[in-house]
Parts: sequence; structure tokens; C-alpha cells
Amino acid sequence: MKQLLASAVAAALLHISPTVVLVKRPDAVKQLLPGAEQFFAREFHLSDQDAHRLHEDAGDWHPENGVLTFYVGKQTGSEVGTLEFVRVDTPHGPLEVAVSFTPQRTVRGVIVTKVTVETKPWVLEALRAGLTEHYRGLKPTDTPSAAAAIKDHVGELPDYMAHHVDEGVSRALVAYRDFYK
Amino acid sequence: MVSEMPYDLRQADTRVKWLVTCLLATFGLAYLFGGWMVALYAGFTPQAVAVTYASPEMSMAMPPGSTMMMEHPMTMEQMGAETPHTVDRDLLIQDTHVHVPMYGVIAAALSLVVLGLDLARRWGYTLITLLFLAPWLDFAGMWLTKFASSRFAVLTVAGGFAMGLAYSIVAGVALWQMWRPAPGGVQ
Repeated sequence: MKQLLASAVAAALLHISPTVVLVKRPDAVKQLLPGAEQFFAREFHLSDQDAHRLHEDAGDWHPENGVLTFYVGKQTGSEVGTLEFVRVDTPHGPLEVAVSFTPQRTVRGVIVTKVTVETKPWVLEALRAGLTEHYRGLKPTDTPSAAAAIKDHVGELPDYMAHHVDEGVSRALVAYRDFYK
Repeated sequence: MVSEMPYDLRQADTRVKWLVTCLLATFGLAYLFGGWMVALYAGFTPQAVAVTYASPEMSMAMPPGSTMMMEHPMTMEQMGAETPHTVDRDLLIQDTHVHVPMYGVIAAALSLVVLGLDLARRWGYTLITLLFLAPWLDFAGMWLTKFASSRFAVLTVAGGFAMGLAYSIVAGVALWQMWRPAPGGVQ
């Protein structure tokens, strides 16, 4: 009986809550690719070998359905920047981050676009502590550590979610480094 | 028939009847919001379920021998368009892990209610089987839609409706048998 109750409580605690859009994609695109008038989707349908390489480099991650998509923004033919949407599946449900790069191949900005009902307050606290400010200027070979930078200013759960945001940004950096030439 | 019943909800202490009523009301509320959530994130038709669970790679026999790059223009509207909510394999593993135990507990609780109802044995067996079969159908549909064919999405829809049907029958019969006015006056 105790085991049954413990299972029920565990299942209730682990139940994944619905997704919440924090920033709509059009708004994220406007902020992260400022001035862009034309948009292109550059899709990489990964071979087994490249998918395996990305899986190893990005720390046990593969893009959804084996397709890596970069969104390129242009203004009068010149590239304004590139944008990736990366999903991280946390034990509390999915998280999506948008990561944009300048033509100089550094991070222009990061926006958390989707969270869940449960994780929203934790993510918002991390964002208020300036989480995404710490990604600006990162190079594709860098390792993001914004969670560590805000650790002293947030609680345990916002810190936990900040590490997942780091994870999403890290995946975006690796994918950009390995495939976007 | 009554003698074959493990216990009889009709004759049970009013506190037990009240407990069962509260349990059924709580499950009912959970099912209502569950239905609302399904409407938001998956839909009630096999087509909508297939969009959520089927893997696009099902249409591509194998990954390409070498990575292929394709580029195509997009409008701002397309850039901003929300992609349909999808559940990939990893999330489905997680969903199955967290949902199935809870479905089991709910089916077990409702089955205990069934045991206290004045029903023919075959109807008891049928209801208990339906209570446990429905979530199995639900998740079997999701997995088969992902890895076999999107046609199996119909199983998930059937499983979802079967869950609602089984709950409605148990709740309806239990409430009727527990609270119907006694013939000839108030009990």
C-alpha cells in the first residue's frame, strides 16, 4: 500500500504541465534578427555519421527528426544574422530557446521562447537575474556558463532551469560551429 | 448477486459513499481538464494525433548517405508561425513513464468502485478490463503512430474516448446506486 501511495505521489509530482509561450516566435525573430527583411530556412538533413558526430559534440543531443534548421535573415542581400530554435526536454517538460548569431559568428542574443506552466516562475526569476545577458558575444567554441554567473542571485529551482538554458545554448553553439559555414 | 459482491456500496456507511463521490468528482474534474489539454496540444481526430506523434522521418526511408543542405525563402509570417506541438521519442518515453503509473492508480481506484456495484459479474469484468485497456490503447497508439504508421493514431483517439466512457459509466452507475432515493421513503 505504501509503495502504491508513493508511486501515486511520485507520478503526480512528475506530471508534466502544459507548454507556455513566453515570447512569440515573430517577436523573437524581430528582436534577434533586427532589420532583416528577407528570411531563409537553411535545413541540414543529417547523415548518420554527422548526426552521430553532433550527438557526441553536443552532449547526447540530436535535433528533432534529424533535421537541423538555421533561419537566416537578410537586408538588401546582406546577411543580418542567423537564428536557431533549440528544444531541451527537462524532467519538468520542454524548454525552447532562440539563439541568434551575428555575421561575425558571435552570439547576438538569446531568448527563452517556451517553458511549461510549472517551470515558468523559475525561468522568469532566472531571466530577471540577467541570465541571457551572459550569452552575448559568445563564440561557437565557447562553453556557456550563464547559470554559474547568476547562481548567487537566484533560488535553487531558477538555478536548475538556468542550467537547462545553458544546455540549449550549448547545443545551438555546437550545431552552428559544426554545420553553419 | 449481493452475496457474491466483495462489498456493497448501496449498503455502505454514508461516509464511504461520500468518499467515493468525492473521488469520482475529483477524477471527473481531472478528466475535464485532461480533455481540454488534449484539445490544446493534440486534438481529438486521428489526423491531429498523427501530426503530434508521427515522426516525419517515417516518410524518409533512411537518413541520407551524406548530409544534405537545402535552403528556401520564408516569409515573416512563416518564420513566426508556431510549429504544431509535437512529441518526439524522448518526450514520449518521459510521458509514458509519468502517465502510465497514474493511469494504473486511477483504473485501480475506479475498479474498486466497480467491485462495490450491483452488477452482473460479466459487466464487472468488462468494466475493469475497459478501465485498464483504455490507457494501454492510448499509449500503444502513440508508440505505434511514431514507429509503425500514422494510421495507428486512431488507437489513441479510441483509448482516450474509452477512458472517458469507462469513467462515465462507473461514475453514473455508482452515483445512482449510492444516492438514489430508497423505494418507499427516505433511508
